Parts: sequence; structure tokens; C-alpha cells
Amino acid sequence: MNENPYESASPAAPASAPEPQTRVLLPFEFRGNGGEYFRIWIVNLLLTIVTLGIYSAWAKVRRLRYFYGNTFVDGHSFDYHGQPLAILKGRLIVFFGYVVFVVASQKYPLAAIIIALVLMVFGVPWIIMRSRKFQLRMTSYRNLRFNFHGTYGGAMASFIGWYFLAVITFGILFPIWVRKRVHYSMDNAAYGSQPFSFLTGNGTYFKFCLIAFFGGLAVYLGVIFSFFNLPDVEEAMRLGGIATTGADMLLAAGPTGWALIAGGGIALLGIFGYYQASAANAAFGGVQAGSQYLRSNLRSWPLIGIYVSNLFAIVFTLGLFYPWAKVRQLRYQLENTAIDSDGNLAAFTASSGEGIDAIGEEVGDFFDVDFGI
Amino acid sequence: MIRGEYFDGRSATGIEATLEFGADGAVHVHGAVVPLSFPLAEVKISERIGNITRRITLPNGGVFETPDNDAVDEARDALGLQRGSSIVHWLESRWQIAVGSLVVVALVSIAFLHWGVPAVAKWAASVMPVEVDRAIGTGTLDVLDRVAFRPSKLPDERQAGLTKRFADMTKPLHDGHEYQLEFRRGGLIGANAFALPSGIIVMTDELVKLAKNDDELISVLAHEVGHVRGRHALRQMLQAAGVSALAVALLGDVSSISGVLSAAPALLHAKHSRDFEREADAFSKQWLREHGIAESNFDAILCRISGSHGVSHSAKSEGKEKDKFDYFSSHPSTTERAQCPEEEVAKEESEPQPEAQSEAAVEAEYEQSAPVEAEPPIDTPLDE
Repeated sequence: MNENPYESASPAAPASAPEPQTRVLLPFEFRGNGGEYFRIWIVNLLLTIVTLGIYSAWAKVRRLRYFYGNTFVDGHSFDYHGQPLAILKGRLIVFFGYVVFVVASQKYPLAAIIIALVLMVFGVPWIIMRSRKFQLRMTSYRNLRFNFHGTYGGAMASFIGWYFLAVITFGILFPIWVRKRVHYSMDNAAYGSQPFSFLTGNGTYFKFCLIAFFGGLAVYLGVIFSFFNLPDVEEAMRLGGIATTGADMLLAAGPTGWALIAGGGIALLGIFGYYQASAANAAFGGVQAGSQYLRSNLRSWPLIGIYVSNLFAIVFTLGLFYPWAKVRQLRYQLENTAIDSDGNLAAFTASSGEGIDAIGEEVGDFFDVDFGI
Repeated sequence: MIRGEYFDGRSATGIEATLEFGADGAVHVHGAVVPLSFPLAEVKISERIGNITRRITLPNGGVFETPDNDAVDEARDALGLQRGSSIVHWLESRWQIAVGSLVVVALVSIAFLHWGVPAVAKWAASVMPVEVDRAIGTGTLDVLDRVAFRPSKLPDERQAGLTKRFADMTKPLHDGHEYQLEFRRGGLIGANAFALPSGIIVMTDELVKLAKNDDELISVLAHEVGHVRGRHALRQMLQAAGVSALAVALLGDVSSISGVLSAAPALLHAKHSRDFEREADAFSKQWLREHGIAESNFDAILCRISGSHGVSHSAKSEGKEKDKFDYFSSHPSTTERAQCPEEEVAKEESEPQPEAQSEAAVEAEYEQSAPVEAEPPIDTPLDE
């Protein structure tokens, strides 16, 4: 793209911004390419196989450093500082925990089910909290670290508490649960000494969840209803009785029926894309850090186009297209995300306690392990 | 001199700076408010990955960032610093290495899918109690009764006679399964028989009518018993899980393809299914041999079933086509499984040898896993 991202920054003056000074839109940019990532990916796989999986922790660090390091905004890239040994430690804990669980469940099957449920309810929020902390603390931009101040109680309330509320209200509160999870991840984050706020309200979440749900339902029911009312399909069902298979009906339906099904499928894909794009826009577009605001402008059809073409390309190349697919998807997402800025990204400072004595090294906390994949 | 930017770690403000690996063994950064110098040993140079920004971490918490990877590499080489850590980057920057790695990864993955997954699934099934099979099969017959089958119209005496022979066959097996024979009218399904993992075997009226004698029916029932005994439903599920696990390990972190990954097992479903058919065929033929019933009964009914389903096996070319696309059909071609009478001469001319070998191999494997108390296995190929 542009050599100098300052040139591509276009001034914008959103009505909501109270500051009189001009604001600029600083777009994100991805500078990696599929061919380069292909070589990193395949060497990572080879070394992982040769070392019977041990290298996967090093592979993860290289993969993330490649993606973070190629993500630029305002002319500077991000960096990932995760240490392979911390990741390996996390994986070993999970692996041995799982083995112990499987062995124990042979002997005490009932106890194992109860323990699994308890772990699901009480352990998952803890793992989410730790992973988010690790992920953000290992991320830097202009030699300042991100941070995460979310608590265990907060994770418990937003991930489990609101889930149960959504279930007992038959899904009516589902949009709030979706928002609460994002809110927890974003609102507790910080860059240097600057805490983030999450601004997207419940209204946005209710709107796109309801449109996606009822839109999907309408398309689904509409297609089913019209299909079974096609004269040829009715005829086939009358002849075949209860043993009529889907294939029989499809054959009988003819071009009208096929077009109906294909159209329904495309409409459902579009709704899926609408949901994905809206969810990403609501999540990233709601982040505020001081006088900087994130803007996210993913659109449904381009996103779906990337999903579907990636999917076909990966299937038809037996997986070989994977690195290019990953780069394409990331590039689209990043290039449609920007910082609505007062032009002064350099003004961020390190939090107290960080800085001079934090020699860019990781804190040796025992629980500073990464449970993410 | 390497050009870049210096960040002190206290603010996000970058300062244009240059970095120099001095001949005195020190690292100098020029351009900051005060000139900085540090002993080389206390400076950390990040590993090169692709062409991402290089980070040189200084002991004061500052970082010197530069896009000039080559200059950093040159300086590092000149100083004889940590050459070892750049081996991975060396591997990652060559297409020949990438292609070589691809070949190795592909071969290992294929070998794992072909031998590893079935072997692990077989072992895992062997340590699981028989109750698991029963759990998988619960409710299946009810569903089939509602959507596909209609009640049998076979006379009661006929049903009783076949049930008796079925019981005689399954009683001495003592493998923990509770075998049970059910009769149904197949309707569109036609002449066929099904085994449910719980041990229920369903035979359609159409199949009973198609058979010329009861030995033929018994040979089909033995085939279905082979499925239950070999715990094929459970192993199919375990193998699918294994295929998914491999797919996730290789391609796991792209959100848009998670849907495809869950479908990955379907690609190998047909292949695994055919392996199980061969195993069940082998069990049936072995059982027939041990009980003095001609194996030709199984061949005869198999050929007639596929004939009744409209599959032509008179065209030799078609049989060959099928072998080519072996990964896509759920059953082995009938010409491979059985000697159909009209074709016998033509087949022997073409390729009798590999076929006989493969059948014998499958059988040998089966005997290892599930010995049946009877005569020693016969080594002669089946299709003489």
C-alpha cells in the first residue's frame, strides 16, 4: 500500500467530537503476504511434527509475531512478546489435566461428569481472564504494552451469569450476553496508562441480533414453505409417501425448486455475513482510548465473498491455500478498521510501575501462562 | 549505522535515531536526547521473521526499531552473534525448503490418516465397554420405522425359522452384544439388511424373497454380525474425531473455514466405510467356512442385491472406473467383493492376483483382532 501512511490519512470531522482541532482517520494496514506466510506455516508444521508437537509453542510465537509485526497503523507495527516456554507450560497443564481427567473418569464416571460441569462453569471464566491478560500484556505498540484489568468476578458475571439469564428468558437477552462478553474484553483493556472504554450500547446489539434472527427465520420458512407447495414436489410426495427422500423431491422439483433452494442458501449466507460484519463493527467500533476512537466498517457481502472463496480455495487445494486465505481475511478486516484520532498517537505514556524497570521482559508470574490455542 | 526509531518505553513518542554496533564491543544509539551506549551482551536483538520490524531491546527499557532487517543481520554476522537463532528464518525464506517441508508434512498426514487414525480408533474402541455401542444405537430403529420401514408381511413361521438360525449363529459368539433379528418391509430401500450398533439387525422382506435359499440369508446376517462385532459404528465415530483433530491441528486458526473443518471427516467417511465392509465380508466368509456352508452363497446374494438395485456389473470398464475413485463410494465395488457368475471367466483374465491378495490380507488382520474358536485360519485365497 502506501509507503507513508500519513498520506493516506484523510481528515474527518465527526459531529460527535467536541474538540475543535482537526481529526484524522488512521487506517490499519497489513503488509504481510501469503507466499511469505506459506513458508513460515509449512516450516512450523514440519518442525512441529519432527519434535512431536513440542515446537508448536515456538510456532505459535512465530506465527503471531508475523501477524502482529505486519499490522501497521500510523506507520508503526505491533509486536508480540509471548515466550514459547510460557505457552508450552499452559499447553502441558491442559494436556496433563485432560489425561488425569480421562483416566479418573474411567474409575469414577459420575464424579467425572460433575467435575467437568463445575470446571465448565467456574474454570472457563478464569481461563478467559488469564488468556486475555496474557494476550494483551504480550502485545506492544511503539514500545508500550497493552494491559488487561478484568477480574474473575467480571468474567463470571458476563460469560456465565448473563448466559444463564439469556437461557431462562428463552434467548430474549441473548444480545445482552453477546455485548457483555465484548464489553468485558474491551472495557478492561488498556494501552500504557490509558484505559479503554467500550461505547457500543445494547441497542446496537439488539438491532443486529434481531435482524439476523428474524431475517434468517423468514428466509428459512419461506423457502421450505414455497418448496413443499411446488406442484411437482407435492406430486412426488403423494406418490412416494413417507419414504420420499430429499433427493427424490429435489429431482421432482425441477429448475424452479433448485433456484428457490439456491436463492435461499445465498440469502442465508448474506445474513450470516451481516451478523459477522455487524458483530465485528459493534465490537471494534465501540473502543475508545482517551481521545482516540476505533472505527470498524466491515460490510456483509465482501466479507461473505472472502469467506466463501477462501473456503472453496482451501477445499480445492487440499488445504494448501490456507496461508493465503488467512492473509486475505486479515487484510480485509484490518483495512476496514481505522483509528479516528486527534493525530497524536505519540502522547500515550506507560503506566506507573512500567517503563524504566520493566526491561521489556516478561513478568515471571507462575500463572502467566497462555491457555489460548 | 542502522537507521530507525528509538522509543524510551515511557511514552509512545518515537525519535528518529541511528544504531551502531561499535568496534569497542558496545552498542551506540545516536539521536536520543542523550547519546546512549550499552554493552553488547546486554542488548537483545529480536529474531527475524519474514520482513517485520526488527526490535533491538536495550537494558534501559528502550527499544530501537528498524525496518532494515538486512543491515541488522549483516552487523550481527560481522560480530559473530547467535547465528544459531536465525536457522529457522533461513529455512523459512527458501521455497525449496518450503516444498520439501510440504512433501514431508503431506506424507506424514496421509500416513496418519491411512494407518494411524484407524489403528488408534480400533484401540480406543477396544478399551471402551460394550454399553457404549448400545448407547449409540438407542432410538435408531424407532426413527427408521417412522421414516423408512413398514411392518413385515412375512409369515410368522418363516420369521421364526430365520430367527432360530440367527440365534444359533449369535449365541456362541459371547462378545457382550445382545443380538436380535428384526423383519421389516423396506419399501424404496428394497432388498437389504442393516446392523445397528446395539446388536439389532434388520432384514427386509424384499431380501428374504430375493434369496434362493436360507444359507444365502445366513451369509448376509453373518456380514451384519461382523459389523456389530467389529464395533464399526463406534470406530467410525472415533475415526471421524481423529480426522477432525488432525484438520484442526493443521489449519485450525482461520475462522471462516471452521465450518469446512467440521466436514473434513466426511471426506474420508466413504473410505473408512469401505474398510468396514471388507472386514464384515471377511467375517461372514470365515463364519460360513467354519460352519461348512459354501462361501459362494454370499457372493450369489451380493450379486443379486446389487442387480436388484440396478447396478450393472456386466460392463467391465465400469468396474475399473469404480476402483479409480475408491475414495468416494461407501461400499467396495461388487466385482471386488464377490465373483458374479456371468463374469467369472472375464475377470480371471484381467487381474485375479491383487484381488485375492487384498482379501486375504484383510482377513488375516481380522483374525488377529477377533479370534473365533474354530479351525485354524485357511491361508488359501478366497476366490478360487
